[in-house]
Amino acid sequence: MATLPEISPPLINASGILSYPEVFQAFEREGASLGGYVTKSVGPAEKEGNNNPVVVYPQDFSKNPVLNSLALPTQSPEDWEKDLGDLRLERSRLIVSIYGGGPGEFAEMAARMSPFAEIIEVNLGCPNKVPGETTIMESIGQRPDLSGEVMRRVRAATERPLIAKLSPNSDYLAVAEACMDGGADGLGCGNTLGPGLSIDIGTQKPILAGTTGGISGPALKPVNLRMTYECYARFGCPIIGYGGIETWEDAVEYALAGACILGIGTAFMHKTTEEAAALTREIWEGVLAHLGGEPFSRLVGGAHRQAPEGQASPEFSRA
Amino acid sequence: MRDTVRITEIREESPWTYTLFFDREIECAPGQFMMVWLPGVGEKPFTLSYPNAFTVKRAGDFTEKLTALGPGDTLGLRGPLGRGYPPLRRPALVGGGVGIAELRLLALRSESPTFVLGGRTAEEILYYDEFQKLGPVHVATEDGSLGQKGLVTDLFPIEADYFAVCGPERMMMACRNVIPDDRAYYAVERYMKCAVGLCGQCTCSGRRVCVDGPVFSGEALAGMEDFGRRRRAKSGRWESI
Repeated sequence: MATLPEISPPLINASGILSYPEVFQAFEREGASLGGYVTKSVGPAEKEGNNNPVVVYPQDFSKNPVLNSLALPTQSPEDWEKDLGDLRLERSRLIVSIYGGGPGEFAEMAARMSPFAEIIEVNLGCPNKVPGETTIMESIGQRPDLSGEVMRRVRAATERPLIAKLSPNSDYLAVAEACMDGGADGLGCGNTLGPGLSIDIGTQKPILAGTTGGISGPALKPVNLRMTYECYARFGCPIIGYGGIETWEDAVEYALAGACILGIGTAFMHKTTEEAAALTREIWEGVLAHLGGEPFSRLVGGAHRQAPEGQASPEFSRA
Repeated sequence: MRDTVRITEIREESPWTYTLFFDREIECAPGQFMMVWLPGVGEKPFTLSYPNAFTVKRAGDFTEKLTALGPGDTLGLRGPLGRGYPPLRRPALVGGGVGIAELRLLALRSESPTFVLGGRTAEEILYYDEFQKLGPVHVATEDGSLGQKGLVTDLFPIEADYFAVCGPERMMMACRNVIPDDRAYYAVERYMKCAVGLCGQCTCSGRRVCVDGPVFSGEALAGMEDFGRRRRAKSGRWESI
């Protein structure tokens, strides 16, 4: 086991959002209140991912829901090594997200990205694919045995703290248990939901070139909030909460459920670097004002502590 | 908006450049872009040349299929997206190749524009007659078939309060040597995926072209070392410009 380094402020981007080191630097220069940045998922071989369109959002530009299906484009590991080797972040930490086709490839990616990553996030739950492929969610993320095997192999390949990022479309407590047994230091709760579908009524065709896409934004929030809550109750481990965080209230809610780090994604839609950085400051300042001088750690898992004395910690029935 | 439109006319501007007109007008700031969706083929960014049309150069599979469409065919559109040109007083509109088309709406909304146009041949100088009715037109072609023989930068110095530049990135780089950064705006092009600031694909030195641009001031570009040098391909791999 490894201890997670402090992410301060405890806000990060979600993997697949912003994606590249030079974008992280631009956000840092703009004064974003992000204590860490997550790369897009780094895979074992160069891949272009899906053709366009890769994103759908409602006609009125409201953000609920958004579907995306990029399907894990990645430059080669060698090119990532060059990019990340050149990266200098002044006051935030780098988290590298990795994926592979099986346990061996996950381990190889963990070993190769370790020199650059302060935390490695293992992407077990991507629900997107190029037509004809199988998604990571289907092949690994929904299977506790394989997810556990991935974590064991990754654990053996690196000393870095490991986060297992889970799919909400899985028996995630069983997957999380296998991952924690396999050596994960914390959980990412979680990836996008679904996948879902959107059809253009004018052309009568699915809009996404990948047909279906993971659901993000406010529609995802109650689902991943529940995952965060249940995982915290069961494991009491560090959790990164992802899904529909747009305001300081959303951030506080995830913290109360058990997240000690909060990931922002879809909320950056349509925002310039200046506007996106301002949003992160607004969220963090709102959290600080809410805390009124108390440390952030006091919030984490707070919803569990509020059960009356003598009552067992809340358990959800598994639907 | 995101909607489907029906093509009403396809006008051949040159043997390889076409303007596609469709059945509705879109309100946008000059320089903003639309994502044009051809189901089953792809979706790419184009800046409108008319409120109800955009102009494309046939240069690859997508534009090949786009220009093969005819009246009555449908297209998906989403936008307008990004940030266009600010209102400019007495501007010189500096265009190269099909980039000239992207300056047309700006020209119609500008007071006393001057045109500075470049291309390989006369056929690449779009809207030459129309622009002459709006203001002085300076032209350079590489083969000398229209205007001065040479490059667009050979036409400088040009008298103007502001400069709006749209063309191939190497041409825009060259323009930065002859135009003061504090009076210039450049339209930057990158491969785009989400086009709404999420995926990071269209980064230029960390600025997401789809939301921070596509129009950047010369001063902003001065801090963007990737401009004129490199861009990310569809996989994210760097490629030289």
